[in-house]
Amino acid sequence: MEKFIPGTENDLLLYTLIAVFAPLLAAIINFCLPANRKHAGWVSTGAVLTSAAMAAILFIHIWENKTFHVQQLWFGIGDTKVFAGIWLNNLSVMMLGLVSLIALPVHIYSIAYMHHDARFNRYFTYLSFFCFSMLALVVVDSLILFYAFWELVGFSSYLLIGFWFTREAAVQANKKAFIMNRIGDVGLLAAIIILFSHFHTFDMVALFGEDGLVANAAIFNHLWIAPNSNLPVAWHYVVYAGIFLAVAAKSAQFPLHSWLPDAMEGPTSVSALIHAATMVAAGVFLLGRVYPLFTAEELDAFAIIGCFTAFMAATIALTQNDLKRILAYSTISQLGFMVMAMGVGAYQSSLFHLVTHAFFKCLLFLAAGVVIHEMQHIKEENKLDINPQSILYMGGLSGKLPVTCIAAIIGAMALIGLPGTSGYLSKDSILIQAFEWSDSKGAYFKLVPITALITALLTAFYVTRLIAKVFFGDFKLSLVNPNLKFHISDGGWNYVLPLIALALCSLFPLFSSNWLQYEDSWLFEGLGKIGYADTESVYHSLIPGVLTASSLVVIATAFFLYIRSKASAHSGPLFRVSYNEWYVDKDYNKFVVQGVLLLSNALYWFDRNIIDGIINLFSSITKALAALSAWADRYIVDGVIYLLTVLVRRTGNFVRMFQVGRVQYYLYSMLAAVLILFILKSMI
Amino acid sequence: MNILTLLIFIPVLFGVLILLMPSKWRASYKYITLLATLVQLAISVWMYVNFKTGAAFGGINHEGEFQFMQKLPWIHLDLGVMGKMQIDYFVGIDGISLPMLVMSALVMVIATLASWEIKSNLKGFFALFLLLDMAVMGVFCALDFFLFYLFYELMLLPLYFLIGMWGGVRREFAAIKFFLYTLFGSVFMLLVMIGLYLSVTDPVTGSHTFNIVQMMNPANYADGAVFSTVSQATILGMPARVVGFVVLFIAFAIKVPVVPLHTWLPVAHVEAPTPVSIILAGVLLKIGGYGIIRICFSIFPDVAVSGAYWLGLLGVVSILYGALNALAQRDLKRMIAYSSVSHMGFVLLGIASQTAEGISGAMLQMVSHGFLSSMLFFLVGVVYNRVHDRDIYNFRGLGSLMPKYTAFVMIAFFASLGLPGFSAFVAEAFTLVGAFKSQSVNGLLPYWMSICGAVGILLSAAYFLWTLQRMFFGSVSFKGGEVWKIALTDITAREIITLVPLAIMALLLGLMPSLVFNVINDSVLAFANFLKVG
Repeated sequence: MEKFIPGTENDLLLYTLIAVFAPLLAAIINFCLPANRKHAGWVSTGAVLTSAAMAAILFIHIWENKTFHVQQLWFGIGDTKVFAGIWLNNLSVMMLGLVSLIALPVHIYSIAYMHHDARFNRYFTYLSFFCFSMLALVVVDSLILFYAFWELVGFSSYLLIGFWFTREAAVQANKKAFIMNRIGDVGLLAAIIILFSHFHTFDMVALFGEDGLVANAAIFNHLWIAPNSNLPVAWHYVVYAGIFLAVAAKSAQFPLHSWLPDAMEGPTSVSALIHAATMVAAGVFLLGRVYPLFTAEELDAFAIIGCFTAFMAATIALTQNDLKRILAYSTISQLGFMVMAMGVGAYQSSLFHLVTHAFFKCLLFLAAGVVIHEMQHIKEENKLDINPQSILYMGGLSGKLPVTCIAAIIGAMALIGLPGTSGYLSKDSILIQAFEWSDSKGAYFKLVPITALITALLTAFYVTRLIAKVFFGDFKLSLVNPNLKFHISDGGWNYVLPLIALALCSLFPLFSSNWLQYEDSWLFEGLGKIGYADTESVYHSLIPGVLTASSLVVIATAFFLYIRSKASAHSGPLFRVSYNEWYVDKDYNKFVVQGVLLLSNALYWFDRNIIDGIINLFSSITKALAALSAWADRYIVDGVIYLLTVLVRRTGNFVRMFQVGRVQYYLYSMLAAVLILFILKSMI
Repeated sequence: MNILTLLIFIPVLFGVLILLMPSKWRASYKYITLLATLVQLAISVWMYVNFKTGAAFGGINHEGEFQFMQKLPWIHLDLGVMGKMQIDYFVGIDGISLPMLVMSALVMVIATLASWEIKSNLKGFFALFLLLDMAVMGVFCALDFFLFYLFYELMLLPLYFLIGMWGGVRREFAAIKFFLYTLFGSVFMLLVMIGLYLSVTDPVTGSHTFNIVQMMNPANYADGAVFSTVSQATILGMPARVVGFVVLFIAFAIKVPVVPLHTWLPVAHVEAPTPVSIILAGVLLKIGGYGIIRICFSIFPDVAVSGAYWLGLLGVVSILYGALNALAQRDLKRMIAYSSVSHMGFVLLGIASQTAEGISGAMLQMVSHGFLSSMLFFLVGVVYNRVHDRDIYNFRGLGSLMPKYTAFVMIAFFASLGLPGFSAFVAEAFTLVGAFKSQSVNGLLPYWMSICGAVGILLSAAYFLWTLQRMFFGSVSFKGGEVWKIALTDITAREIITLVPLAIMALLLGLMPSLVFNVINDSVLAFANFLKVG
């Protein structure tokens, strides 16, 4: 046993293990509880509260203080030893704190939100299992374990998306989510395999830690050189491609983003936790963990893809009518910002945005959950046939749901990035650094920050549209149906408290004492200076000013459009592209899914008719040969024998004619024989 | 009494007991069989616990390093000028055989529990079942080629009848196809075996021998013998050793099965009754993989090295081809049969890599697939027994009607598609690691094979999840309407008892793969080393 745990570090290990395993324990307890016990919610909440407390202690010990790494032999295979261990540094304690802190209000909210569901404790089983996988993912030190929890996180997301498994859309969505994530998983697995055979270790600290193997591996003369192995540099790109796929799948980047909007089929509380705040950020977290791996060109590619994803998703969000779908595309867009930030070298800004986004996007989803819940009430009470998530039926809800409305507006401001919110700090820091990055590149690279800037304005537009259509103007259902009964409210403390807490966390004080300067944020400083050039360029004052001013203009315009003039533009090719989500899904279905099915059916045909056909041909040939030899046996082999017997019999019969017992006949025949003999003799 | 011999022949004792018992006690046959398999399981677990590890117990090509050995002279004939004929009863195990024994013993218990569904001609069924059990155990233990061949052929007879008499509608066709297919492989194996016998002499007695371990030592081959490494004899213009390897490989590849020799498998599985399907997938396929390691690679290491590329290619083709075919199936059992082809492709890929990681991964994959495929086929049997249908499109929303059953299906499906935490994940991951490493360690397999193999993991998610979505989720609707709704009751206690050990094993080996790796490691290293040295 190889343990290196000096005295006090035992405590850190213990805290980490408690933080990670408390939710697992809760999941097991809830799984074993008899069906539909309402304790399940509190069991899970207690577990996640424990995790949060442990995370806080760990945060105090580790943050800007030290890193912590222990490992223990897991198994040996051949001469390779595979270790399982824990690696805590600033990044992991930040994520540990974030995940448990976001999960806590979501758990409390869920207790009320899922109260009437028949599979209440199954829901909390899954939710706790997700928390376990996610918390484990951020602390493990081995690539194998990382992959394991990476996939378990996807698995729990699968379970929760398909929680209402009798709904066709939900089960289609969870299958799609898992399979698209599997593409990323295969990429990650390939990357891990290559890294392992190159560096002979799965230990992430040894690989990506300070002065680690990856950082020291040089690329020289088309070779990727590690201490004991050289690979053609192409394999470096394969590793990159694998990790890119993994990031794209989990963090919903183009071209693997289309599962996330569909994943909104799950309960809204799940969307808030998993598909907005935590799991989808795992891709960005992975980038943070393996950051030393990438070369400058590879990072540029991230910047471009991230920027494109952000833009594309924002354009789609402009025209969607499903409340959760709009938020889903906004999540994709913001994740695009994070990936772009990683690409432009704004490592800490990316993670900073990850944290701020987690709070305000979770807030927005929970607010949306309240709205949907109440719309569902109206629907049931009045027996309407409407989609409770469609914003076309909403409007003017600010009076009925005041707390939700204010919370949503704070979330929206943070999402747009207005001063005073956390989103302002993180988003501006990304944009500023993107502009600085493009200065050092060619002219075309300017497109990236400019597109990002446009995306930020598009964000302002669609967010305003959303808020305006849901909370302001007239309630659309009342317009068509004046006798509508509705008794709706913000709901109990389970709803209100999480909203208030998250709203407070979406404002600047949590992150910085200075509401205008992102550099002063403790989180930003604590994440280290990897790749960060502390420059005093003109962008630092220009970008926030321009962005805030133009955002306000856009907000005013959008508000005016949707409230005053009640705009409803439903035409034009651009609208159709946006409304149909750039036709991505349709094309995937048409080409990829149908293609694979066609191939599999063709191969099955090949299997039955060619491969098995050959076997059957063999058997037919054998049968034919057998028939032939049976025929030959009967008519040739046996025929000859038969012929012989016939001959013998005929001869016998013929000769028998002479044996009649009369002396005269014998004399005649003797005479005949003598005559014949004589004639023959005389002829010769 | 040697413990291995006991392990092998215990089923026959019980089988004879069943044959002697009057037919009016037929209800007790299944319990007797269960007892036999449980005793066998206990013995194999005892051997697992008492199995010694360490470099001195590597086995493979060192006779002294095998454990629980028994060697008795069996047929020793003085043939005058032709020398002495030497056939031994020689059994023993190393790290390669042990996990197979334990796995088979457990699968046999499961198969017995699945035999509760058999209603006709019980005496014949259980007697044949136990005969099959003996033959399977014998194959994994035999170290004398003649003995091995005897057990190997002895498996065919009970299987032929088990499929042909208790199978589905086209059972006779399936039985004959299966029988002829496998016989085709083994008949040629017989020729190679005789060739080897004539080439190899026992260094101690000086007579020809069937001893497998001695066949691995090039020094034991007589000069000028057909399979001698030095003499370079040819058969039909091809090097004799290559021909020998290929013939043996084909025999085992049919068992594995390797594409394109797999077409007996879907037919046999679809027609076989559940317990026989379980044995087929759980145990019989592994005999193919085991044979490749123990016989093909060990006796012809030189050919194994030079032909590794083609073996790896066959492995990758099996993985992808099997997976794509599984995607095209409507029959649930056929789908799982093709998924077996895909999963066993990993075994071949791992063995072909000839790295410690690859071979260990392949071994674990065999053990893991033994449990998981048993579980899958048992689960198919559950639905089939209730409504006699298994067309995927005839079911919808089973999840609402049979929640416990669906939970087990999900465990089996996710474990099979390689969800971390279950054994298949570790096995497949390390098979791929080994395949990728091969290029830099021994230069046998190109890098891309491993990457292509990884795509198989993606496809397995596709066919399993698609099936889940179509059959188990959604709103309840069956082809058979209300009649099926009543027939489709959730799984019984007996069925749960059958499934739980398999699920636990899959989970246990996923969390603690060292349970397998620890006992196989010395043999795997010895084997990899042996191949490297040649």
